[in-house]
Amino acid sequence: MSLPDWWTIDPNQPFTLGPRLFPGRIWTASGCFAYGLTGHDMKSANFTSPYQGLGAVVTKTVTPQPRAGNPMPRLAETPMGAINSIGLENVGFGEFLAETLPALERKGVPTVVSLAATRPDEFGDMVAMLHETAAGFTHWHGVEINLSCPNVAEGGHDFGRDPATVSACVRAARRNLPDRALLAKLTPNVTDIAELATAAAEAGVDAVSAINTVIGLEVDLETGRPVLPRRFGGYSGPAIRPIALAKVDEIVTRAGVPVVAVGGIGDFRDALKFFALGAVAVQVGTAQMRDPFAAARISRNLIRG
Amino acid sequence: MVDPEIGPAVSCDGVVMSNEPVSSGLVRLDLELDQPLSFQPGQFAMLNLAGADPLVFSRPFSIFKADGRRMSFLYRIVGRGTRAMGALVPGDAMTFLGPLGRPFPQPETDQPVVLIAGGVGLPPLAAWLARRSDHPGLEIQAFFGARDGADVPWDLLDDRWDVSVDSLKDVPDGRRAWKGLVTDLAATSKDLQDGRNRMVLACGPTPLLKAAARFAEARGWGCWLSLEEHMGCGYGVCKGCVVPVLDPDKGPEARRNATCCQEGPVFNAELLAWKRPHRSQ
Repeated sequence: MSLPDWWTIDPNQPFTLGPRLFPGRIWTASGCFAYGLTGHDMKSANFTSPYQGLGAVVTKTVTPQPRAGNPMPRLAETPMGAINSIGLENVGFGEFLAETLPALERKGVPTVVSLAATRPDEFGDMVAMLHETAAGFTHWHGVEINLSCPNVAEGGHDFGRDPATVSACVRAARRNLPDRALLAKLTPNVTDIAELATAAAEAGVDAVSAINTVIGLEVDLETGRPVLPRRFGGYSGPAIRPIALAKVDEIVTRAGVPVVAVGGIGDFRDALKFFALGAVAVQVGTAQMRDPFAAARISRNLIRG
Repeated sequence: MVDPEIGPAVSCDGVVMSNEPVSSGLVRLDLELDQPLSFQPGQFAMLNLAGADPLVFSRPFSIFKADGRRMSFLYRIVGRGTRAMGALVPGDAMTFLGPLGRPFPQPETDQPVVLIAGGVGLPPLAAWLARRSDHPGLEIQAFFGARDGADVPWDLLDDRWDVSVDSLKDVPDGRRAWKGLVTDLAATSKDLQDGRNRMVLACGPTPLLKAAARFAEARGWGCWLSLEEHMGCGYGVCKGCVVPVLDPDKGPEARRNATCCQEGPVFNAELLAWKRPHRSQ
């Protein structure tokens, strides 16, 4: 398929989001590309690197303290998607600030830092420390506050279902983030996502990221029990794309806040559907896990000419 | 033992050259890749169906052989992904990401080596053995275990391999097999009774790996195991295949999660925290 006539954007042209100019509109989604590549060097005859054409890598979510994550198994594949229960395994904010973010800066990787916390003031504190440490970084473009991880017992998902809490977290982060983009990642597991998006917008986000994973569960027929030890997990992949499209449409039409769309984007056609609804950028998640060049491929396939 | 140098992982396409059973349970897949690649025994590749409807996650397979652009794998049909692979015919396209992961160590001295492979765990150790012609003096004992005679890929095993089977059914004429567990075959082997310090390398189902670790520990020998985990990405980003390992730097009781795909799949058995399962934070 060639690109449709209505598509006039170059995804590799810089665009403005809040106080920040991003290098492009195709990003990788949090949790699906770690903190960029850390171990393996990745080659492809078609790309200079997996970062080619990327507008941002949204990091694996970082929490105030390191987290070991959930017990195995952590993944359950379905014919059209995957249910994960990783549990926000991460190095913790201290190590992230001291080691990981400077390494991303040195490599020149455009970065959005994903943060999770259990109280609004923790978001405020982490953002303040980020600002203090990384104010001079040229490749750190923003913060995405994760208000919607379904796989942690505290904070996370339930937390992000309440508009007043969303508002308090956004305000706490915004206060300390004057010159980088602030995004809030919203859960789709609510009756009215536009209400959450409106709360986030009124509290000062530059965009919302939508959607996080959909609550899902898989049963192992041999044992008669859920595959994942915590029973449910976050469902992602092509199966949730129609849900993401509907939620993005609700937000665009009712909340009037820029949307960075995420949910089941595997190729450029999928990305185009979200741009058609008015998304300002897109994130590639589960497909990036399958193919480290997935986002780079989408970015290149969206260039006309 | 030293860790071999490993090169970058490559994302490319491959074409199925053949996809044929080599025993009642094992299938050999030969791909012709877009480019020649080398690997270290113990490394794996993530394979997937090419085209518009790939599996959501690619599947990890240890590399059996590589020769120029040709790369071979062995697999067992166990689920949806390998069933789809079983239906591939010559000319079909696949996607390839690899070689990935940490390989088996290579010998540094003339310390003799014991290889213990079970079923579909054969490829990395067969690859390791094939490379040892570079070390002609190295003493190697190789043991392979399978369910029964039909399950053994006889044509892939030369006379350096001693074979054990759970059942002697279907062992072909002219072939020797011993009835019992492969680790028991190793334990009774006369060749291993000379008191020399050996290194054990093993790959196979988890009970075999645990038995191999006990076999080595009882003799005070070092042991490296290639673990099998369900994987999401295969390249270290999703944290979906973690293995609890000891963290001696942080204390004797400390443990941490290691990604099987990136820090493994080959682990020093001493570091695996098998005895007490890791608890969620």
